[in-house]
Amino acid sequence: MDRKEKKTIQAKLDSFHSRKLWQDKIMKRIFQGSALLAALMIFFISYFVISRGIQPFLSSYGDEQQSLIAFISGNRWRPDIAPPVFGVGFIIINTLLTSLGAAVLSFPISVLTALFIAKIAPPKLRAVLTTIVELLAAIPSIVYGVFAAGTITGLVKDVGDIFGINTYGGNSMFAVIILLAIMIFPTITSLSVVAISAVDRSLELGSIALGASQMETNFKVVLTSAKSGIFAGLALGLGRAFGEATAVSMVAGNRMIGPTWNPFDITRTLTSTILSGMHETSPGLDYDMRFSVGIILLLVILATNFMIQVIKRKVGGVTHE
Amino acid sequence: MLAFKVENLNLWYEDNHALIDVSMDVPRNQVTALIGPSGCGKSTLLRCFNRMNDLIPKTKITGKILMKGDVEIRDPSVDVVKLRTDVGMVFQSPNPFPMSIFDNVAYGLRCQGIKDKKQLSATVERSLRQAALWDEVKDSLQRNALKLSGGQQQRLCIARAIALEPSVLLMDEPTSALDPIATAKIEDLMQSLKQMYTIVIVTHSMSQAARISDQTAFFLLGELIEAGPTAEIFQVPKDKRTEDYISGKFG
Amino acid sequence: MNKARRRKDIMRTSVTWISASLAVLVLTSIFVFVFKRGAGTFSWSMLKDDYWSKNYLVAFGDVAANDFAPPDTDSEDEFFSRKFGFGLADSVDKENNQLMLVTTVSALSPLHEGTITTAGPDQGKVMAIPLNARIRRIDYLDQENNVKSTGLLGQDHSAEGAIERLEQEATAIREIYFQSTGGGIRGSIIATLMLIGLTLLFSLPLGISAAIYLHEVAPRNKVTDWIRAAVEMLAGVPSIIFGLMGVSMLFRVTNLFGITTQSVLLGSFTMTIMLLPLIMRQTEEALIVVPGSLRMASLSLGASTTQTIFKVVLPNALPGILSATLLSMSRIIGESAALIFTMGTAISDSPKISQGATTLAVHIWTVMAGEQPNFELATAISLLILVLVLGLNVTVKLLTYRINKKWQV
Repeated sequence: MDRKEKKTIQAKLDSFHSRKLWQDKIMKRIFQGSALLAALMIFFISYFVISRGIQPFLSSYGDEQQSLIAFISGNRWRPDIAPPVFGVGFIIINTLLTSLGAAVLSFPISVLTALFIAKIAPPKLRAVLTTIVELLAAIPSIVYGVFAAGTITGLVKDVGDIFGINTYGGNSMFAVIILLAIMIFPTITSLSVVAISAVDRSLELGSIALGASQMETNFKVVLTSAKSGIFAGLALGLGRAFGEATAVSMVAGNRMIGPTWNPFDITRTLTSTILSGMHETSPGLDYDMRFSVGIILLLVILATNFMIQVIKRKVGGVTHE
Repeated sequence: MLAFKVENLNLWYEDNHALIDVSMDVPRNQVTALIGPSGCGKSTLLRCFNRMNDLIPKTKITGKILMKGDVEIRDPSVDVVKLRTDVGMVFQSPNPFPMSIFDNVAYGLRCQGIKDKKQLSATVERSLRQAALWDEVKDSLQRNALKLSGGQQQRLCIARAIALEPSVLLMDEPTSALDPIATAKIEDLMQSLKQMYTIVIVTHSMSQAARISDQTAFFLLGELIEAGPTAEIFQVPKDKRTEDYISGKFG
Repeated sequence: MNKARRRKDIMRTSVTWISASLAVLVLTSIFVFVFKRGAGTFSWSMLKDDYWSKNYLVAFGDVAANDFAPPDTDSEDEFFSRKFGFGLADSVDKENNQLMLVTTVSALSPLHEGTITTAGPDQGKVMAIPLNARIRRIDYLDQENNVKSTGLLGQDHSAEGAIERLEQEATAIREIYFQSTGGGIRGSIIATLMLIGLTLLFSLPLGISAAIYLHEVAPRNKVTDWIRAAVEMLAGVPSIIFGLMGVSMLFRVTNLFGITTQSVLLGSFTMTIMLLPLIMRQTEEALIVVPGSLRMASLSLGASTTQTIFKVVLPNALPGILSATLLSMSRIIGESAALIFTMGTAISDSPKISQGATTLAVHIWTVMAGEQPNFELATAISLLILVLVLGLNVTVKLLTYRINKKWQV
C-alpha cells in the first residue's frame, strides 16, 4: 500500500467517524424527544379533557350554559328532556357505593388468596394459581361485561325473586358490585402477592421462634408487615373500579334519578354516564357534558388515591417498596 | 518513552475520595502492574486511562493524564470514542458478545466503518493469531462465542481489543475468573504482546505481578504508595506498607 | 398448642383455601359460560361473512330445466327442485319474519353460475347462490315462455309452494332475488388487524425509544425521575378518559390528514398513547436484563452509545420487546371504551383507515347495546377474543421463562 492510498483510506475513516458522532447526537435527541413526548401526554390529556369539560359552565357557552352548583349537587340526569338536566351529584354517590362495595367484597378474598399463593400453596399449585390470576387480569372488560350480563344479572334476579323484589332483569347495583369485585380481584391479589413475598423471612422466623405457629405468623406478622404493599394493591384496584366503563355499562341500567341505596335497583356510574347513548349523540351540550363527567371521574380517582396514601401512613408498614 | 504520564490525579465518586493525588509514569512497551488490596483505587485509575469513568454519574476528576507526552486525555477536544480505539481494555470476567467469533473480533472495526470483507478477515486472523487463539478456532469462526471455554473467551476478548491496533492495552484482573492453565496461557500471551503494545494490568495476585510485569505500582486507600521497576519493589521496597503487603501481612 | 389455637389455625388455613378456590371458580365459570353460549354460533362462516345482509339479483340466462337426483339426506322440512337441483326450507328469524332458506345445491345445478345484475361494483360478476341464502323471489319461464315469479314475500313465501310451482310450470330459470345471511364478523376482524398494525407502527418506535432514553442515555437526575412519574401516572388513567382525549385532542391531528369523522387512524393514535406505559415498562425490563458488561465491552472498543444500543443492547433485548408487542396486541384486541369514542360503534363490512369501524370488542358492544341484545353473537366473539388474548398472554409467559433461563447461564 503506498502512501497516497493510505491517505484516502484514512480520510474515509475520518469522515465515517464524524458521521458516527453526528448520528449519535441525533439519535440521542430522538430518544430524549420520545421520552419527553411520553411524559407530556398526561398533561395533554388533563388539559384537553378539562378545557372541554368546563366549557358548558362558562358564559361563553351561550344559552345552554350550565350551573356548576346544579351540576355537582344535582340528583337527576335527563339529557332527553327539554331543557336537559345534568346533575352529577347522585352519580358520584352511586359510583362511590359500587366501587367501595366491590372493594369491601374483593379485598379480603384477594388478600387471603395472595397469602395462600405466597405462603401456603405447594409449589405446583402456586404456579397454577399465579397463572389463573394473571389470566383473570388479562380477560378484557367487554368479555366480563358479556359474562355479567349473561350470568350475574340472572343470579341477582333469582335472589331478588326469592325476596319478592322486582329487579330490572337483574341489572342492578348489586350486579355491578359483584362484577367489579371480580374485575379488581387480580389487581389486588397480584400486588399483595408481591408485598407478602417481600416480607423479610427473619421476621417470620422471629415469630415462629416465639412459639407462634406458621399460620399465626402468617396472619399476625406477615400480613401486617406487608400492609403498605397490600394497600397499594387496594388503591390500584379501586382506581380500576372507578374507571371501568364498558362492563359496568352493560349491567348498571343507567338510572336517571338518584341516588339509590337499594342494591337491587338499577344504578348509574360516572363511566356508564360517559358511555351511555354514545351512538346516538352528536356534538353539542350532551357531548360536552361527558367531558365534564370525565373531570369528575379523574377527581374522584385522585381523591381516593390521596386518601389511601393518608390511611397508609396512619396504618404504617414494615416493607419498603 | 512514556505511554502515560499521570500528574496529581484526584478522583471522587460523590463524597468518596477514590484517588488521592496520584502521580506516576507508564512506560511504553512494558507491562505495568497496579497492585494493592481491593478498594485501593487501582481499577479506578485503570478506568481513567480510557475514560470509562465517564459512564459513572457524579464522578469528579482533577489533575492530568498525558498520553504520548502531550495529549491531555480529559481535554474537551479529545474525542473519547476515538481514544477508546487507541486504548483497548480487557475486563475481569470474559464478556464476549453473544455473536459469532468472527463478528466479535470484527466488531470494533465495523464500528469504525470498515466494511471491506478482505480487510476484515485479514485483521480477524492477525488478531486471533496474536491472541494465540487462531489454531483453536480457525475452523469454527462462525460458532457462537459463548460456546468457547472461559480461557478461550478471555483470549477472544484480547483479540477483540487488539484488532483495533491500540497503542495501550488495559487489563482489569484478566485472569481472576480463570483456572491456572488458562491463566498461564494468558500470562505467556502478555509477554509476547508487550512487544507491540503497552500493557497496564490490575492484578490481585502478587506472584502474577512479579512474574509478568516490568513496572509495579502499589496502591493503598486511594494513594500511590510506591512505584518502580518490579524487581526493586519486590526485593527492596522503600515503604514499610509495601513490604507488609508483599509479604502477605495484609491484603 | 392448645385445642382452641389449633382450631383457629385450621380455620385460617381453610379460609385461604376457600378464597383461592373462588378465583378458580370465577375463571372456570367465565370459560364455561363463554364456551357453552358461544360455541354454537362460532363457525367458519361467522368469521368470513359480512355483518350486514345484502340483497342480490342473480340472473341465470334462462337455463333449461334438467333432472337432478334429490340428496340422500331426506329431511322432512326440505323441498327439492328436481328441475334445477336445489332445496329450500322454511325458517323464521329473530324478529319472527318468514324466511325461505337454500338448504342444498346439487353439484351441477345452474344455481352455481349466476350473474349478478344488481347495480354496484359486483355487477356482472359470476356468483353461486350460497347455502342459507334467504330467497325473496324466483323468476322462471313457463311452457308458454311467459316470465312468472314465485316465492314472493306476502304472497306464496313458502318453500313447499315455491318448489311445487317450479316443478309444475317451469321450463327454464331466469332470475333469483335473495338476501345474504349476514351476522358475520369479517369486517371487524379486518378492522382489528388494521388497528393492531397501525398502533404497533406508531407505539413501538415511540415506546422503545423512550425506554432506551430512560435506561441507556438519560442522566440520573430530577428530570428523569419526573418523566418516569408522569409515565407511571399515564398507566393509571382509565381507558374511557383516553377515549375523551382521543376525540378532543387527537381528532385535531387526524383532521390534518383530512379525516373529519371517527376513524381507525384516530383509534390507533389513541391506543398508541394508551400503550406507551406498557411498552416502556416491558422494554425497560428487557434492557435491564442485558448484562452491563456487554455495554462496557462495546464502548471500550470505540463504539458510540448509539452503535452500542443498536448493535449490542437491542438485539439482546429482542425477546423482551417481542413480549411487549404481544401484550400490546392483547390489549388492543380487548380494548373497548376508548375505541367506542374514537372509532365509533357502527359495524363496517369493509373498514378503511380513514373511516369509523368496530374492532371485535366494540362489535360485541354494538350488538349488546341494541334493544334486543344478540347474546349468541356476543359470546361467540367473546370466545374468539378469549382464545386470542389468553393465547398471547400464555406465549408471553413462556417467552419470559425462556429469557430468564437464558441469562441465568
